[in-house]
Amino acid sequence: MRSRIYTIISGHFKSWYRSKSNIFWTIAFPLLLIVLFGAIFGSGSTKFDLYLQNQDLSANTPTPLSQGYVSALNNTEAFNLHMVPAEQTNALAYVKDDAQPHNRGQRLLVIPYGFQTMLNTTRQAKIQLYMDQSDQASVSLIGIVNAATVSYAAHLSPSADNVIVQQVGIVTKNIRYIDFFIPGVIGMTLLTTGVFGAVNTNGRYRELKIIKKLATTPLSKIEWILGMVGYQMILATISLVVILFFGYAIFGVTATIDIYTLGLVVAASLLFPGIGMVLANFVKEAEGADAAANAITFPMMFLAGTFWPRDTLPDIMKIIANFMPLTYVNDGLRDALIYAQPAQALTNTLIALGLAAFFIVLGSVLMNWKEE
Amino acid sequence: MSNGQPAPLPGQSDKIVLVENLSKKYGDNIAVNGISFGLTKGEVFAFLGPNGAGKTTTVEILECLRNPTGGQAIVLGYDVSKRSDQAEIRKRIGVLPQDFNAIDRLTVRENINYFGAMFKHQLDADKLIELVDLKDKRDEQFKKLSGGLKQRVGLAVSLVNDPDVVFLDEPTTGLDPRARRDVWGVIERLKSQGKTVFLTTHYMDEAEYLADIVSIIDHGQIIASGTPDQLIDSHGGKKTLIIRDAGEEGLKQLPPGLPKAELRNAGDIAIPLHNGELTNILMSLTKTLLHNKEIEVKRPTLDDVFLNLTGRRVSEEGN
Repeated sequence: MRSRIYTIISGHFKSWYRSKSNIFWTIAFPLLLIVLFGAIFGSGSTKFDLYLQNQDLSANTPTPLSQGYVSALNNTEAFNLHMVPAEQTNALAYVKDDAQPHNRGQRLLVIPYGFQTMLNTTRQAKIQLYMDQSDQASVSLIGIVNAATVSYAAHLSPSADNVIVQQVGIVTKNIRYIDFFIPGVIGMTLLTTGVFGAVNTNGRYRELKIIKKLATTPLSKIEWILGMVGYQMILATISLVVILFFGYAIFGVTATIDIYTLGLVVAASLLFPGIGMVLANFVKEAEGADAAANAITFPMMFLAGTFWPRDTLPDIMKIIANFMPLTYVNDGLRDALIYAQPAQALTNTLIALGLAAFFIVLGSVLMNWKEE
Repeated sequence: MSNGQPAPLPGQSDKIVLVENLSKKYGDNIAVNGISFGLTKGEVFAFLGPNGAGKTTTVEILECLRNPTGGQAIVLGYDVSKRSDQAEIRKRIGVLPQDFNAIDRLTVRENINYFGAMFKHQLDADKLIELVDLKDKRDEQFKKLSGGLKQRVGLAVSLVNDPDVVFLDEPTTGLDPRARRDVWGVIERLKSQGKTVFLTTHYMDEAEYLADIVSIIDHGQIIASGTPDQLIDSHGGKKTLIIRDAGEEGLKQLPPGLPKAELRNAGDIAIPLHNGELTNILMSLTKTLLHNKEIEVKRPTLDDVFLNLTGRRVSEEGN
């Protein structure tokens, strides 16, 4: 006797690869998106908005060393620098007022008065970086500022450590749009295959009386759900491998698959089918459940930073994005695959696993196996 | 009853299914109202009635898909209300749900194996394919089959665990006449193999053709039970002499002294027959032009039984 769970997985998988539309939406569509978005935005980098106040003026012009530091930051091509007038006594208030209408992150780097003098005399100078700790970009941004600062200091003096205030050492790399985008496409694919897969199998199979038939056999509800989750894991792995290979082959995107990536694949394979099962139970008609799945997945895709950094969203949308499960999958995948930020990846993986446990249990409890 | 062999049923040891005073309520709505019947090994039992009569609710209670509100239902010696007994029942019954469709993109063979894998023991898929006469379609995807062929796949799937009793819920609803006949052929083969079959249907001719025992259910209650002949004899009324396409003109030509005739839909004249009257009526018709018409003696059917018991007929759609 073949395992019942294996049979469920195999049945789903055969149904998947025999459907051209399934192949299109799971494989071809994400690759098409990568090509399109890569072609449109691929040459540009993802830049962080950063306000900069240079207080180190001499005769109303920046001192050479402070200007050199600003140039060093600019040369990273990682920032859109927005200058704050040196005479602004409350630079933070200025940034707040200016950033909100432009949907920019509120981040301020201050080069203090006496920066050049300090460097020349004591060989030590401080800069201040102000930013919200909850800012999603904080880790990457600090890393890039640090790298630029260390590089600048080394240019001034061989004993660079004595020159500039040290930040926590973070390895950063120049992140292109396509690097940012590819984990988002993986997250999006996991979302759609998971939610729609569960809606189809639990909605459409119910309409076709397949679930009713299975409920009259020794198959248990748990075995059915495990089969569905197993199938989603296989699909998620295929999506991950195909998209990463494509990203590497076409755009040279290098990614690191680690334990967090695997954790996120497991989490997504539970989380999104769980959401689909909850939907399928609230909206009994297969067509209605499909529409509900669309209504849930599309806003989530855009708000959870699939296509563009959430930095660009209005504040209220940023708050809503925090409640989107896909946010944590996307962030976790970026942290693990691209940014090499294990601590952040762990946090996001744990949150995604927690949400996954919640939704899969809720979906399982709600699912009617018998007729009542 | 859940451990090992089921407890014997006193005085009912030959019953594969035994239902006593079974009820099912949904709020104030009574779907099944205190019904009782039994099903003996090897017989085809037809549960006959219009849509909404309580057939599917009853069969789904027997399949452990719904819990009864009252009474008792024993299947293969196990109580459908007991969770531990339900596992045993599921191993040993075969089910074809109403409007069942197998998995679209799996082939006929793959579908049979898919559902077969849910059981510890499964019959050989090829033998089942042969039984339902689908050898040519073995590797065809389910979605490409016609309605009748799909239903035959459903029948094969319902037999995949070599069940002791097969529940077929409206197996021919929506099929064209030829496909219905094909499904009947499969059920006849099951009958010849000694399978016990519980069949729900709203087609009177289907029950009459296939069933050993018929129970007629209406508004949640069984209103008559017996063999088709017994039901027809006791509730079907008299035989009828039919004169085809005679019309109003024909009615006027009928000799006096005949039983009261009526004109039916297609212009047929129907004359109820009392014992020994047939010869006299035929003799009298030879004296009219009506003897040139097609004349037939029609035996009452289960349709007539249902009409006589309830005062209404069941439409083709089951309403």
